Amino acid sequence: MLDDTFSNQPILPDNLPTVSSQAFTPLSPMYMKVNLMCRLTFWLIVVSALLTLYWQPWFVLPKTLELYLPQLQLAAGIFGLLTSAYGIIADKNKGYALREHDFSYHSGVIFKSVVSQPILRIQHVELKHGPIDRHFGLSNLEIFSAGGSMHTFAIPGLPEEKARELRSYVLTHSDIAEND
Amino acid sequence: MTNYQGQWLKLSPVAIIYFAVQFVKDVGNNLIYLLPAILVGYNQFSENGLAIISGLTALLLFVAISALLKFYFYQYRLTDGRVQIHSGVFQKSHIDLPFERIQNVRFEQPIFYRPSNHVCMLLDTAGSSKLEAKIIALSKGVAESLKQEILSHKTEQASSAETESTETEQEQLLNSRSVQDLVIHGLASNRIWIVLGALAPFFNSLSEKFIAGIENLGVDVDALMASSQYAFWQYVLFFLSIAFVVIAFMALISVLGSVITFYDFKLTRSNDRYIRRNGFFTRHEVVMKLSRLQMIVYQQNWLDRILQRVNLKFEQLGASLDRQSSGTSGGKIMVPSVTQGEANALASDAWPENKLSAINYHPVSKRLAVRNTLIAFWLLIPLAITFIYFDQAELSVAAGGLFILTTGLVILSWKRWGYAMDEQFIYIRKGLIGVNYRCFPIHKVQQTQLHQSWFMRRFQLCSVRLVLACGGQTLPFIKRATGEKYIDTCLYQVEALRKSWM
Repeated sequence: MLDDTFSNQPILPDNLPTVSSQAFTPLSPMYMKVNLMCRLTFWLIVVSALLTLYWQPWFVLPKTLELYLPQLQLAAGIFGLLTSAYGIIADKNKGYALREHDFSYHSGVIFKSVVSQPILRIQHVELKHGPIDRHFGLSNLEIFSAGGSMHTFAIPGLPEEKARELRSYVLTHSDIAEND
Repeated sequence: MTNYQGQWLKLSPVAIIYFAVQFVKDVGNNLIYLLPAILVGYNQFSENGLAIISGLTALLLFVAISALLKFYFYQYRLTDGRVQIHSGVFQKSHIDLPFERIQNVRFEQPIFYRPSNHVCMLLDTAGSSKLEAKIIALSKGVAESLKQEILSHKTEQASSAETESTETEQEQLLNSRSVQDLVIHGLASNRIWIVLGALAPFFNSLSEKFIAGIENLGVDVDALMASSQYAFWQYVLFFLSIAFVVIAFMALISVLGSVITFYDFKLTRSNDRYIRRNGFFTRHEVVMKLSRLQMIVYQQNWLDRILQRVNLKFEQLGASLDRQSSGTSGGKIMVPSVTQGEANALASDAWPENKLSAINYHPVSKRLAVRNTLIAFWLLIPLAITFIYFDQAELSVAAGGLFILTTGLVILSWKRWGYAMDEQFIYIRKGLIGVNYRCFPIHKVQQTQLHQSWFMRRFQLCSVRLVLACGGQTLPFIKRATGEKYIDTCLYQVEALRKSWM
């Protein structure tokens, strides 16, 4: 038993701890930058591919395609910029919070959502980092409950140090230790 | 009580039949795609019968040899709290399954196992559905004692009292279904539509065949249509009676299907275990621990409502995985077409404190209906206008009609939504033409989600999703304050009560 101090305060229905009044920690600023960079690079590739298609000397394009290609390039460019700008706002709205017994993750601009995961119900924890994340020292923390893989609780863009800390917090938590 | 511990065991020889049947089934499933080719080549085949016969003999021989080999290479053993199975001729597979990982023990008795009274034992695990182990062909007695051993493993560990195992032999019958109930279930269940859907690609050729068949009988369909000797109502009657015959035929198939799957249905309880037995050809036996029960569902489609029947479902872990397979093969327990009273009795037997029969549901906000109507409006009305613009009056009217129909359905579905909570349970009512009542204990929630779109924020609404081990349940368009209260209560009960969910 990790928790030796036992408390059993009476709690009235109106005085339950509330999820909505938590202070959410924003994700690492590096995550936003990396995300923005990835999006911009992707759209840059799309636009430059369209440009090469337009300028290439090897074969003749069909008439209609040749006619509409500049518009298509413009549309792709504008769409790319818009999604990147939206991505910044979306990333700024993401955040997580940690209480004694649960995690919460907050996200969304137009469709906001708060997902809460009690630590008692955690089946296993995974740290994931792709090559880009690894280069910038970022990690995704994925938490699985018995609700199935559809309902994986994930916090993206954590500094690696922090992610490890959170994972060990979960693994050494009294709720989990009791489960085994 | 058993002395098979620790040594590798072979199956009883009946398993050879099982392997052979399984092989034929697999080949048959693949052969369906070859069917057109076989039909085309049929003429050539029919000319040299000898080749066919020798081919078939070779095939039979092959099946027999492969079944023998599979039987030879299959062995299993039970050692200190784990099941180990080695199988496979070329592709070996080794399964090693600790008892405590076993969620569920099921028996299956194919018809060819019945004379010798053998069963297949299926061991479900909490993980993916692929991780299930199957011990093919055990004699019934051995299987029963194994089941007892596996299921009591956990309880024995917790309380080393052996007294419980003697008590468990007593099974108490909770519900059984007569053939009459199953006929009702067959009529009311929508299997008819599944059959119709499966037939859909063949409708054209079927109707051609049908007309050709009638013409062969000496009826000239064209003349029948063209002649003026019959009044219009006679044609209508003619087609109505044909439609009636077709529907009656489909209903018959559905009733047959229901009787075959649920024949001699018995739900019994011994201590904390529910046991379901059913099946005409292949007998199924599913055991569920009461503590694994996640949610009780009453399901009523429109026909069930008329007939005053309820399909009761005990959902347990991972029901979403089993959903593809039909209601009987998975681990969940479905009691088909019980009366309201029987359903309530079963529900309160499982969870005595639940008020599924008496609870008052709160309606969800009418903004849900408004939003869905708006979505339908923006999808269909511009379409209708475009059709008018291109002088397609009929299509435009159709789109308009579709909009009115969808609006009706949207309002109906909004009226069905309802939710309620008492000290221990959350209740959800939903549906369209049929109704679905669900009830689950608050402390079995795995995760909570609160969603709010921009549209909902304007009206202080939110949608709450409560994830259970058997899937997520949604309470759409409820007041934000209520939603927060539900989530806080759920989290509090989960974290403070610390009750196990399985």
